[in-house]
Amino acid sequence: MSGAYWQPEIETMAPAALRELQAARLRETIARAMQSPFYGECYGRLGLAPESIRTVDDVRRLPFTTKEDLRGHYPYGFLTVPPQETVRLHCSSGTTGNPTVIFHDRHDLDSWANLVARSMYCAGVRDSDVFQNICGYGLFTGGLGFQYGAEKLGALTIPAGAGNSRRQIKLMQDFGTSAIHAIPSYLPRLFDEFQALGLHPAEDTKLRIILTGAEPHSEETRQRLQEMFRCKVFNSFGLSEMNGPGVAFECDCRNGLHLWEDCFILEIVDPETLEPMPDGERGELVLTTLDRRAMPILRYRTRDLTSILPGPCPCGRTHRRIDRITGRSDDMFIVKGCNVFPIQVEKILMKIPEIGSDWLIVLDTVGDNDELLLKVEISPAHFTGDMEALERVRRRIIHEVRDEVLVSPHVQLLEPGALPKSEGKAQRVQDLRKKS
Amino acid sequence: MAHQVSVFMENKPGRLERITEILSGGGVNIRAMTLATSSGGWGVLNLLVDRPQQAKDALTAGGFAAALREIVVVQMPDAPGSLGRIVGLLAKSGLNIENAYGTVLREGQGAILVIDVDRTAEAGTLLRTSGVTTLEDDAVYRL
Ligand SMILES: [Zn+2]
Repeated sequence: MSGAYWQPEIETMAPAALRELQAARLRETIARAMQSPFYGECYGRLGLAPESIRTVDDVRRLPFTTKEDLRGHYPYGFLTVPPQETVRLHCSSGTTGNPTVIFHDRHDLDSWANLVARSMYCAGVRDSDVFQNICGYGLFTGGLGFQYGAEKLGALTIPAGAGNSRRQIKLMQDFGTSAIHAIPSYLPRLFDEFQALGLHPAEDTKLRIILTGAEPHSEETRQRLQEMFRCKVFNSFGLSEMNGPGVAFECDCRNGLHLWEDCFILEIVDPETLEPMPDGERGELVLTTLDRRAMPILRYRTRDLTSILPGPCPCGRTHRRIDRITGRSDDMFIVKGCNVFPIQVEKILMKIPEIGSDWLIVLDTVGDNDELLLKVEISPAHFTGDMEALERVRRRIIHEVRDEVLVSPHVQLLEPGALPKSEGKAQRVQDLRKKS
Repeated sequence: MAHQVSVFMENKPGRLERITEILSGGGVNIRAMTLATSSGGWGVLNLLVDRPQQAKDALTAGGFAAALREIVVVQMPDAPGSLGRIVGLLAKSGLNIENAYGTVLREGQGAILVIDVDRTAEAGTLLRTSGVTTLEDDAVYRL
């Protein structure tokens, strides 16, 4: 394989043909979904059938599916086949109540692996690469999802798992790793370990491509990671309800993520009115699976906020692009009457070289008021011993955050490494407020 | 030019102890120190040591943000008003003092003053031509 595309006929399909393919697959998906207890009852009651769909836009005639629906029909309510006919499940950690569990049959796993292979190929990974998957295996879909995709692509794949940076670096050096996948909050820690060993990834390894995702992060974070590692960093998007990784991925242009429309119907809706949003405007991403058999999900409200980037991409792929996720509606918090997304704070911090890569928002009640405290680690590489300079950095953060989110934060500067580190996704918000 | 080591430090129990532990573990001797604190719960610890580069490396390896900063070290004349005179000389030339701290040497040898000032070379020359004795880095580290 050495062309520009993994599946040229699909990735560059004319938009009209792509819409027809979607409509046909949607009809098949509805027919199959109606074999599940949940959709059988729901669509039966509403009088919906495959024939309800003439064009792909008719998807709007279907009701939305929510996370609560998945939880409420745990564990088998969405299955179109007996559980024995499925071969794998993944589930999300539910802190309260039932987790959301997704079942796959053999076809589903093949289709998923193909989408991940297509995504990795799109970012420039080839079968000659050595790919090290630095993330948790097990129930987290980033582990097995990338593993099977990379194997399908034909790359030598190292299932390194999360953590243990020193061993990661040894694997990278011993086996000539040229591409890695890791969550964005882990990458600075990996880089710190390189530095502690007196090494630089650009000089002492063959690393040329970094795939990241799973945590919403800003363009500023990507720039910082690219400067740190001196290689290309690609953003990806996926969620376990839609398999996991491989839903949308950046191409070499690194300007928006191609969402694979042969396998998903893409909608952006206003989270309040649920009406469709025009291209370019931010709303909630709604997805429908088009190639999943054991457990199809239609019009799933992802709670992820993004927009469709208008216009074609120079890479030639016709599948539309979504903007990087600006947050999950679940991530948003309200302080002093203002809606705040952690990513708004992140993009300010990541522009400031004196600030390290770890930070935490603490919400607390002081007296009768909410306070927003921002704890940020300083960067050892940019520390000069100049107190006044650090004081200026602190004031800059206060002003820029206030301008962005309309709440004036308290800023606390911390020693490098002062914040607790987690193996999985980074916790960025701690809410200690008294609930009234 | 002589250097001090500046370390970023949170104002919480045990941090100063940890720094001195790292330095003694690295075979570094502390001659003098001063802590400048901000109102925000952090500060910068300035250290005059016998081996600044080793001290900085040991602290960095220990997870601290540490930097070497150029300083001017002067032998304090045994005369009344000399501190005021030194500060006055620097101020008149527009040289801004970030920080200054003194330490007493062995008995009978008087005291030294460590000055963290911008444009250290210029400050050193100015003080020397005004009759103030400055110490070369070797002399500082051997104190
Ligand atoms: Zn593209």
